[in-house]
Amino acid sequence: MKKILALLLACVMVVGLLVGCGGKTTEAKPAETKAAAAEQTPAEAAPDTIVIMAPPVTGNYLANLKVWGEEFHALYPNLTVEVIETSWGDHNDKLSTMAQAGEAPDIAEISSGALGTFVEMGVAIDIAQYLDADRLADYDANALEYMSLEGTVYGLPLYLTIQSIGANKTLMEELGIDVAKIQQKGWTYEEFLEVIQKGTADGRFGFVFANSGVTASDMLNIFGAGAGLSNNFTEDLKYTFTSDNMLTLLTAIEEMTSSGYMPNYGVEAGQRMVMCQTGNAMIFGKAMPLFENNFKKNNAALEANDGTAVENSLKMDYAFLPVPTMMGCQESCYGTVDGLIAMRNKGTTDEHLKNVLLFMDYICSGDRIAACMNELYLDPVCQTGRDALVLEEGRDEANLATAARCIAMVQAPPAGVTAEMTATAKKLMDEQIVPKFQLLLAGETTAQEVYDHICEAAYAAFGQENCVSGKIG
Amino acid sequence: MATTGLYSQHLHNKKVLYLRNTIITIVLVVLAAATLFPIVYMIMSGFGPNVATAGNMRSIFPSRWTLESFKAFFQFSDYSLRWIWNSLVVAAGTVLGNVIFASMAGYAFAKIHFKGSSWLFALILVAMMIPYQVTQVPLYILMVQKFSMTNTYFAMILPSLCTAYNIFLCKQFFTGLPTPLIESAKLEGCNQMQIFTLIILPLAKTVLAVMAINTFMSSWNNFFWPFLVTNDPAMYTIQVGLKQFKFANETLFAPMMAGATISALPMFILFFALQKYFMEGVTIGAVKG
Amino acid sequence: MNGTKVRRLKAHRKFRFTNEDLWGYIFIAAAMIIFCVFTLYPVINAVYTSFFEYKPFGSKFIGLDNYVETLKYSKFNLFYKATKNTLIYTAVVVPLTLLISFSVAVMIIPFQKKIQSVFKAMYYLPGVASGVALSVVWLWLYDSSPDGLVNRLLGVFGIPAQNWLSSTKTSMLALMIMALLSSHGTQIITYIAALLGIDNSYFEAAELDGATFFQKVRFIVWPLVKPTTLFLLVTGVIGSFQVFMNAYMMTGGGPDNSTTMIGLLIYNNAFEYGKYGLACAQAILLAIAIAIMSLFQFRLMGVDVEY
Repeated sequence: MKKILALLLACVMVVGLLVGCGGKTTEAKPAETKAAAAEQTPAEAAPDTIVIMAPPVTGNYLANLKVWGEEFHALYPNLTVEVIETSWGDHNDKLSTMAQAGEAPDIAEISSGALGTFVEMGVAIDIAQYLDADRLADYDANALEYMSLEGTVYGLPLYLTIQSIGANKTLMEELGIDVAKIQQKGWTYEEFLEVIQKGTADGRFGFVFANSGVTASDMLNIFGAGAGLSNNFTEDLKYTFTSDNMLTLLTAIEEMTSSGYMPNYGVEAGQRMVMCQTGNAMIFGKAMPLFENNFKKNNAALEANDGTAVENSLKMDYAFLPVPTMMGCQESCYGTVDGLIAMRNKGTTDEHLKNVLLFMDYICSGDRIAACMNELYLDPVCQTGRDALVLEEGRDEANLATAARCIAMVQAPPAGVTAEMTATAKKLMDEQIVPKFQLLLAGETTAQEVYDHICEAAYAAFGQENCVSGKIG
Repeated sequence: MATTGLYSQHLHNKKVLYLRNTIITIVLVVLAAATLFPIVYMIMSGFGPNVATAGNMRSIFPSRWTLESFKAFFQFSDYSLRWIWNSLVVAAGTVLGNVIFASMAGYAFAKIHFKGSSWLFALILVAMMIPYQVTQVPLYILMVQKFSMTNTYFAMILPSLCTAYNIFLCKQFFTGLPTPLIESAKLEGCNQMQIFTLIILPLAKTVLAVMAINTFMSSWNNFFWPFLVTNDPAMYTIQVGLKQFKFANETLFAPMMAGATISALPMFILFFALQKYFMEGVTIGAVKG
Repeated sequence: MNGTKVRRLKAHRKFRFTNEDLWGYIFIAAAMIIFCVFTLYPVINAVYTSFFEYKPFGSKFIGLDNYVETLKYSKFNLFYKATKNTLIYTAVVVPLTLLISFSVAVMIIPFQKKIQSVFKAMYYLPGVASGVALSVVWLWLYDSSPDGLVNRLLGVFGIPAQNWLSSTKTSMLALMIMALLSSHGTQIITYIAALLGIDNSYFEAAELDGATFFQKVRFIVWPLVKPTTLFLLVTGVIGSFQVFMNAYMMTGGGPDNSTTMIGLLIYNNAFEYGKYGLACAQAILLAIAIAIMSLFQFRLMGVDVEY
């Protein structure tokens, strides 16, 4: 009896402690919000602090961001900028935690694919009402579409990255392949297959794609662009991955993996470029225009013979190539947009948001974005950025032209897609499609089986009437 | 010395003794080699040339020996050394808290029969079973909003000042100590605090050393929590700092490994400093149940 | 708050704590305060959140919906697959790690102090390698090309090259091997400490009865380190059920979700999909599963071994 009472007592003590804690927290909340709001109450040009959180988008980005913050402060002495530096790969985790705690930074860098999550969470802010219409018009409609859902703009684009394949240009030309024609006119899947067959020799693959683990989705996205699968949804908002195009794409990939022209095992992301540079592969993916820089640096290191070159690498030129087309689809390129979004936190007021947008626009346009793009070998996606861009010396003309051609081919997601639709599509991609696709890459299933699984999962998620059947494009 | 009795069998037969020890050594070395591989690789890469990305990863030894990467690590940020200092402060604080509070609590749960002890202990264990991914949001709100502790050592130390893991470890260890030892001390008029400090603690050197080392190691290697509660590069711990060597399209691999090598040094030192406590073992001697 | 409990508390005001009780409370006071604020409060908060569709500004109470969504059976619900994967992983890794750690600890003992410390250092030091270095090395070891290190090693024995992390046949095995070879430093050190705590007189007595080495291990060492084994078993199971880093860094859960663990699922829901309420519900279901497992372990090993 005594024992039970004692236990009860201990329980009561703990419960009391907890309730005490809980009570305090609920009381504290409104008071704090009020205090924060009072601080923000606007007099004209009241002092304000803007918090921005970003990972090192480029090597110099965070250092630049601090400089731009000071320049901005000189322009608007009442506004101060605070930069939270995060690390690449962990940025999203910290941002999620802060957002869920209601402590999100005013501005955060995100990739367009993550926008839906933050909109669903209720922390993304419709920025159009806080930014002058003519400033918004500076940004390309195509890129802005990536930062929008259901017609609402949530942020400004920093850049549009195009992802495709790249190659050892020197070797391709030695083998008598017309690289210039591919770069200028594009190619079909059949032509691509012929080329990688030609490129395959003893100890060398014609093609290699880093496709192990989560990077498998890159292969699906990049080759999907050439098969009419640039987006998850069609203009009339039907899910595209159930179309005949998907089956064609999967069959093509099954053919590639079993052809012997590419490795039939998983390749790590860090290996693909090394394989190309050491002459173990001719064409590699995924590749970006930016890689031209890596090849140039390596050539210089080989010449200087200072030991910093990739071990056993050869001197070669880099060619950025468009992705081959399938089924006679229009040529296209896979692109994603990284941008800045405005986020809601405890201190958010209209006046504050105007200041936030002023700074966001400042760093997404003009000289600032031009400097950033030069580091990334990309074209700015706003007019003032293009005007300010002075190209670095020594860039390969053919690659530049190809990159420009590819950027123009990128198809933005259709208007009218809801946050819920993107969220469902993302989950479907991560949990059902990519896993089965990995199985296909490992040669443990067939294209038809993967296709059937995708259809079944998509019908369960969206309903069969909201999924495409037949061919697109 | 304690436990040598376990191996008393072949002491008189030199041949068998050598054979036995050789076999054991081979087994231990093979297993240790597999275990040691990552750290050898880390150190070797640190002494390699300052190249971006892992490059051609087929060889263990660098193509060229150089200290460039160490230089690059220190030049990367004004705070490179400060990161190590921060990690030291946080780890030392955490170890100190755990050694004091967890050992006291562990002793109480093991040897003091107070009301509600088993329930409270079960509660501690259950709380351990919720994965950190979901508890860190409320914890973050607590530290950042309620306590305004962003960018402080407190924010990094407090949540792990006395972990359930260590309380459990101490309880298990103290449970093994003979109860008559405590009973007789009580008869001689010692109160619990005296028993704890005069009798128990001297016997607990081994477990405290184990706890100190393990706690230090986990605090030192902890990345996500310090990353969450620090916004100022001057307050980063070394693990948060090391992640700054990774960019969107490249990783400054060799400097990162050089940094990891440097950051491992304090743990080597701590290990060897506490090593002698593992040697002594516990000699309880006369009093036994 | 809880009216009946308060009344009961008052009714027993006269109830006296013994001296022993007071000492107990004094000893655990600091630990309990820290525990309540920094561990229990977040845990209770997570339990509370699991009944909400959580949004930082305006959560919606949805009762048990998060639990229903987690447990609702469908071909596409990963929770069951993740549970199965986690169970298999735990069932293999935890006992084997214990066995290896115990054996290594026993094997280190007969050597001279100097050699002992060399071995201890060898087994402890890998723990200081940063997680990044660790994952880079293992990815390299598991390189699926015929030039991969593990593949070359297998080649020596005439075994064909394996598609390690990219094949469903080997992905889980690869993660298990990695766990077995890289996470036992702490366990070994803990076991050594326990072994050194065994008094020599036990062995002397056994010697007189003519006990062999294995008999001593079986009847003296094993029972006497039981509290340590229990500790390592329980914390090992907890850690293994929550395992997340391996799958996250090495495979991302693939291929075909063959290495998707519950920890990874919870992480994805909390950070990738912004479904924090759902993540909390899954975490609590996981905790319940661990608690039940732990209860069995305590029963199995005997709650308190006193002597």
